[in-house]
Amino acid sequence: MLGSAELSFNVDHGYLEGLVRGCKAGLLTQQDYLNLVQCETLEDLKVHLQTTDYGNFLADQTNPLTVSKIDMEMRKKLCGEFEYFRNHSLEPLSTFFTYMTCGYMIDNVVLLLSGALQKKSVRDLLGRCHPLGRFSEMEAVNIAETPSDLFHAVLVETPLAPFFQDCMSENTLDELNIEVLRNKLYKSYLEAFHNFCKDHGDVTAEVMCPILEFEADRRAFIITLNSFGTELSRDAREALYPTCGRLGPEGLRLLAQAEDFEQMKRVADHYEVYKPLLEAVGDGSAGKSLEDVFYEQEVKMNVLAFSRQFHCGVFYAYTKLREQEMRNVVWIAECISQRHRTKINSYIPIL
Amino acid sequence: MSPAMGRAQTIMKARLKGAQTGRNLLKKKSDALTLRFRQILKKIIETKMLMGEVMREAAFSLAEAKFTAGDFSTTVIQNVNKAQVKIRAKKDNVAGVTLPIFEHYHEGTDSYELTGLARGGEQLAKLKRNYAKAVELLVELASLQTSFVTLDEAIKITNRRVNAIEHVIIPRIERTLAYIIAELDEREREEFYRLKKIQEKKKILKEKTERELEKRKIAGEVTEPANLLAEEKDEDLLFE
Repeated sequence: MLGSAELSFNVDHGYLEGLVRGCKAGLLTQQDYLNLVQCETLEDLKVHLQTTDYGNFLADQTNPLTVSKIDMEMRKKLCGEFEYFRNHSLEPLSTFFTYMTCGYMIDNVVLLLSGALQKKSVRDLLGRCHPLGRFSEMEAVNIAETPSDLFHAVLVETPLAPFFQDCMSENTLDELNIEVLRNKLYKSYLEAFHNFCKDHGDVTAEVMCPILEFEADRRAFIITLNSFGTELSRDAREALYPTCGRLGPEGLRLLAQAEDFEQMKRVADHYEVYKPLLEAVGDGSAGKSLEDVFYEQEVKMNVLAFSRQFHCGVFYAYTKLREQEMRNVVWIAECISQRHRTKINSYIPIL
Repeated sequence: MSPAMGRAQTIMKARLKGAQTGRNLLKKKSDALTLRFRQILKKIIETKMLMGEVMREAAFSLAEAKFTAGDFSTTVIQNVNKAQVKIRAKKDNVAGVTLPIFEHYHEGTDSYELTGLARGGEQLAKLKRNYAKAVELLVELASLQTSFVTLDEAIKITNRRVNAIEHVIIPRIERTLAYIIAELDEREREEFYRLKKIQEKKKILKEKTERELEKRKIAGEVTEPANLLAEEKDEDLLFE
């Protein structure tokens, strides 16, 4: 169905694509970052942000200005834009948006679960959930006593239900460590998202699938790196690797056997995409960490997504780039407020 | 009277000696406490400077971790159950003053081992190390500060006692002792004077009776009584 994207995409989604491209043009440029880095106080930062697309978003904040307030306001702006896109979307874009929010929903559910298990009040937790991951059954979480009850009563209604079913097949939810649960859910989510994009076909598949494959492999590497020296067994580790990535069954099996960073690097050497990435990792605090390298690669791929038209991937890329921008601004703001300027340039440049 | 006063004097002398010994001992205690106090003060200053550095480092590593791992604060707060680092209180004795010393120990496993498994695990590990160092320093600082306050109290009390003994008790005893000695001297002088007076009076009386005797003898009223030892013929004896 070549060419069908150009023919039919704009009918339903053209307005939103135009809108998101306009928003993308408002992302902070290198010049903006240079200005921000030279600020002495958070007030200066606020003044500089006023000249950008952010405008007067901090206008009604009382003194003193703190980093958490800046973070909160930026997130509010992002959520506002996201909700606007979502409310105006039609199928299949709305399902795409739902998939995007599943990631945040997983975090929220894990948070509420751990709170409910400890019999803590759910009301404060609701305030601390990620707004993009809100689902209508959130308030009902506190009626459940154990996680299995929670699942049967509440989570069955949410889009997360199929992911939970994958986890529940081996052992019940009660025994799972909360972090292991989180990662298992994310694995099923990534694979489901990948399948959705592939089935959708067209440009969306061409753009989103590499991004999601990279995300899957990145998770595999990071999980391996962080599980050195912990109580996580090799099989448990392997169960957390999303399989939709380029590492495929071979690479993942090799990764599961790895015991230190060198072995991981050798696994990456088989894949020419990841070889340079792992080589770029410096050691200790002087060089870049693996996470930084992966972040840069993710940003590159997201920016490239905008070079093609008529696909849903622009929305995903835009959201991720905005989040990275938020992280950068918060990082610069923290360095300024803590007067620790040595590493202020370690943000990830986007444009 | 005099032996009782002598006893009182001995008692007073003993008390003076006791007070002086007590004062010297307390002064030694005060000096020992002051020495320890100065050491602790120096240590507190060092620790506080170090603390500033460590906390700054820890706060920065928190910012780094947040950059990579996103916002994990709610996760951490929600999964709190038992304390991993606990404190035991031990007692240390300095010149009789008990000072509390806090010692930390680890208990239980790290319940946050798998946090940040998918994102930011390295930064989180660094963060945990930095804050653990900060907690250890804080515990040490707490011990030092409680010792400081306790020692301060103890030094004040001891110095107060030393001063009291030196400026109140000892002068009082010395004054009493001086009074006793003066009293004793006074009585001795009185006694001496009394004796002298009696001797005088006795002498005068003796001279007076001798003069009267002489007068009577001359008048012939008073003969010498018979002297059995004198070899005189007795008229009543016929045959000699």
